[in-house]
Amino acid sequence: MAMAEKELKVINRAEQLTTFESGNEMAAMAAAQINYHIMGYFPITPSTEVAQYLDQMKARGEHNIKLIPADGEHGSAGICYGAAATGARVFNATSANGFMYMLEQLPVQAGTRFPMVMNLVTRAVSGPLDIRGDHSDLYYALNTGWVILTARTPQAVYDMNIMALKIAEHAKVRLPVMVAYDGFFTSHQKRKVYYFKEREVVQQFVGECPTDYNFARDPKVPVTIGAHMNGEDLMNNHFQQSEAMYASGDVFKEVAAEYAKISGREYPFLDLYGMEDAEVALFLLNSAAETAKDVVDQLREKGIKAGVISPNIIRPFPAKEIREALKNVKALLIGERADSYGGNGPNLTHEVKSALQDDKNNKTIVLSRVFGLGGKDFYADDAELFFKDAIESIEIGYAKIPFDYFGHIPGNEEKILKPVITPQHGDIYKSGLIHVEKDPETNNLKVKIPPIRSLTSKPKRIASGHGACPGCGIFTGLELFFKGIEGDVVVLYQTGCAYVTTTAYPYTSHKQTMIHNLFQNGAATLSGTVEAFLELKERGEIEVSDDATFVMVTGDGGMDIGMGSAIGTALRNHKLIMLEYDNEGYMNTGSQMSYSTPKGHMTSTSNVGKSQKGKSFHHKDTAQIMAATNIPYVFTGAEAFPQDLIKKAAKAQWYAQNVGTVYGKILITCPLNWKSEDRYGEKILEAAVNACFFPLYEVEDGITTITYNPDEKKKRVPLSEWLKYMGKTKHLLKEENSELLNELEEEIENRWQRLLAKNNSPFL
Amino acid sequence: MAILPKKNELGFFEIRLESIGGLGANLAGKMLAEAGVLGLGLNGSNFSSYGSEKKGSPVKSFIRFCDPAVEIRAHSPIEQPHVVGVFHEALYKTIDVVSGLAPDGILLVNSTRNFDEIKRDLKLEYGTLAIIDALQIAVEEKTKVNTAMLGALFRICEFLDPESMKNVIRKTFEKKYPHLVEPNIRTFERGYNEVQFKTYETPVDAQGKSFSRPMPILGYETQEIGGVITAQANSVLKDLSGSRQGFLPKFEIEQCINCAACDTVCPDLCFVWEEGEDKRGRKQMFLKGIDYQYCKGCLKCVEACPTTALSDLRETIGYAESHRVKHNFPYVAGGVS
Repeated sequence: MAMAEKELKVINRAEQLTTFESGNEMAAMAAAQINYHIMGYFPITPSTEVAQYLDQMKARGEHNIKLIPADGEHGSAGICYGAAATGARVFNATSANGFMYMLEQLPVQAGTRFPMVMNLVTRAVSGPLDIRGDHSDLYYALNTGWVILTARTPQAVYDMNIMALKIAEHAKVRLPVMVAYDGFFTSHQKRKVYYFKEREVVQQFVGECPTDYNFARDPKVPVTIGAHMNGEDLMNNHFQQSEAMYASGDVFKEVAAEYAKISGREYPFLDLYGMEDAEVALFLLNSAAETAKDVVDQLREKGIKAGVISPNIIRPFPAKEIREALKNVKALLIGERADSYGGNGPNLTHEVKSALQDDKNNKTIVLSRVFGLGGKDFYADDAELFFKDAIESIEIGYAKIPFDYFGHIPGNEEKILKPVITPQHGDIYKSGLIHVEKDPETNNLKVKIPPIRSLTSKPKRIASGHGACPGCGIFTGLELFFKGIEGDVVVLYQTGCAYVTTTAYPYTSHKQTMIHNLFQNGAATLSGTVEAFLELKERGEIEVSDDATFVMVTGDGGMDIGMGSAIGTALRNHKLIMLEYDNEGYMNTGSQMSYSTPKGHMTSTSNVGKSQKGKSFHHKDTAQIMAATNIPYVFTGAEAFPQDLIKKAAKAQWYAQNVGTVYGKILITCPLNWKSEDRYGEKILEAAVNACFFPLYEVEDGITTITYNPDEKKKRVPLSEWLKYMGKTKHLLKEENSELLNELEEEIENRWQRLLAKNNSPFL
Repeated sequence: MAILPKKNELGFFEIRLESIGGLGANLAGKMLAEAGVLGLGLNGSNFSSYGSEKKGSPVKSFIRFCDPAVEIRAHSPIEQPHVVGVFHEALYKTIDVVSGLAPDGILLVNSTRNFDEIKRDLKLEYGTLAIIDALQIAVEEKTKVNTAMLGALFRICEFLDPESMKNVIRKTFEKKYPHLVEPNIRTFERGYNEVQFKTYETPVDAQGKSFSRPMPILGYETQEIGGVITAQANSVLKDLSGSRQGFLPKFEIEQCINCAACDTVCPDLCFVWEEGEDKRGRKQMFLKGIDYQYCKGCLKCVEACPTTALSDLRETIGYAESHRVKHNFPYVAGGVS
């Protein structure tokens, strides 16, 4: 037994303060009060704010949690696992596809029995991509072996985060615990919430971190963690795990009872509203249950005995309590924000039905409805319709439609999408003004481009009407690049601003074919597309013009989480171009730091305060990483140097058609998150290049050439000339941060000098 | 305790703010809600519409107040508010900003125009109209529109305490930006004092503004399976002029040297070119003008222009429409003139 559990004393009701905050803020507050050792995280909407709030608090010196920005959720789960295996207290938060990406790690965490707490801020799983709330991610959690608490309100998010750790670490449990709450509805809505004034109250409640377990923390006590097993052994391991899971139900009750003593708030297995005499009831998870309670009040005024059941815990599943609650209920409608396609009802429908099966006297008619997917709002009148359906089934004595979707509409024939412009392809995009040739004598590529004015005759690849912010640098960067590409393109946009702002269904700003895939995997996906085109062509099944060019467009975030996929694709040397627009952060999700964020720059996860001054490590040199894959062509470019970029695009096309993979990085401004003025976009990029922060160069068959040398052109400016334009770097120009500025300047100068050396030697 | 002037059947006094990303409506909503909940001990909730968080796109912020004993269970957007605050007047062209407004509701608009014009454009029949020139105040004080709007909203929500809000403003700025304390307090006070009201008499049998929930364009019988879109480039049908925050580029063709520097830097692909002949009879591209339907007013083109052909202009109503040069996209119907 852990010391803390032995020493646990009865604590009287502790002093609490009132605040007005959201679910995400309360999850962060609970974590800060507990003062976890480690949080490994990767931003994904709508859970991102949890890490952001913790980073803000950290900058103010309010906790000591080591916040580790992972390269993706799979990495974040790895960080958490490694830390948990070392006996540290570990915390995480994620949503939707982030959760799916780490899914592989979750049974590892549970099956090897290392406690931790993770907030799952529930959201629709792709595809199609939808960033709003439903429970499709949560349903993948059901079989992971994690204890799952469900929090309907920001208050419950706070309370359950405190209870979760105590349950996870309990000697009878030793399992990871998930706190699931509704994306946006609970994560972002601000409510009145109570919290403990003194963090000591929370720390005393959760107790000391248990150390009497087999951890990788003491070299004097060596252990082997994660030996592989055969079925004979795995049966026993999983039986232990199953027993622990059921035991966690009793522990939940104990912990909830103790928590009620200090907080005054109770969390039974089931939240029952009007269920003492209900004849008709709804079973709803999380926030929708709250909405339905208002309808129960209204129905009861009309004399209808209505009620709502909503569980506070779904793993272990409170089957016995549900059976009891439904004893006298004539009809129950189970509304679920996810489906188990083809299962004749989503997962919880079957779990509730199976709970009822064990009561031979039960006669409850059960209806099942899939509703509110992808954040579709659930109004009180929707709950009314649910009750109406259930009441009708009581009247007729059976469920007319046992399982159905709710809230889908057939649509109007007249509104079917019709083509707006004629398909844009082929000759339209051949200006005939760009020439790339191999010089037979030098074997070098020679590129000729016309004045930019002439290229305005070539239609843009992106259509007007996209939803990017005013002054966004993405499309100017991309269009300049595409100016240099002759003929058809097939593009793949990885998740990011460029994708989101050009494809808000049912609108698209793409003139030619565009495929989206999640940003772990864009490069691999496009490599499949290229090879399929080539194979289909080879077999004579399609006719493709010879000059079709395949371009994968990604942000710098996509080159973090998708680095493995990009490198794999490069090593296979497919005939495609990877084009990265680098705005130095995860701007699409609210300006979190990426590995490309320069040191000291402020983002929402690298805040500036007394204990922290922006990002703590230097920016990733993605161009050099990609050059090390020995692909035929690597380049950098910027809008402020248009001819340079167009020429490189023309070369990129030649290499992608004739040799293999090309990687290019274009620096672009993000006025919103760089906190710069919209109108100075081009000047900011010019300064970044002239300060040698972003050198313009190319690596052609391994040979590095600087295509614009600010020193030689006598255009070199100090780094501060670039930094002064941006709110995110204002602090770096203050006297007190001069050392940090020097470090950044030194790093930039070192990289520039190394690049010069490469420029001067064909062997570097 | 009877602080709230009006309540709906669930006991809520409801406020909806209509804005575009970047004007600070979310923050204003949060501060308004906090003033009621933490300042006065009311119960309340506050949240925003969860669309794209891009600057310039429409956003809504919702505030519900109720007595302390009332539990807030509704999560859905506010459909029938008592107060609507419009931060960005141009929104009325694309959004029904007064949707569901109670018959005796109050509509606050950030505008330079007069009562009757706004009443006409926003199709308000009765109720109280409040006008504040928040942009002008913000420009004069070098502060933000949302602080002036907040001042006006405090005047409208008489139950809130403006003094406590001033303390919040003071606390927010005094540590890091002490020089911003006074301008912001002045902005708030000016919003509070300068807001003008006009009440249009509400007939006894008056109905509130009807509201409708947004319906998708397509349904399960009309969506292509898998969510594929076959109408490439249909975003050209969108009108993004509502993203502008008061300024646009003015184009004087006589000064233009057709260098295409503007075209290179325009994020919204607004510049319209046409082939013609130069003085020596050679084919060349010429800049015809700007398609203001897509212009978000970033003014990058003004910075890039090497001549005086492009310059800043404080937008007046009707300018963009009358000076727009339409893109001649290859529409399937044969082009739209």
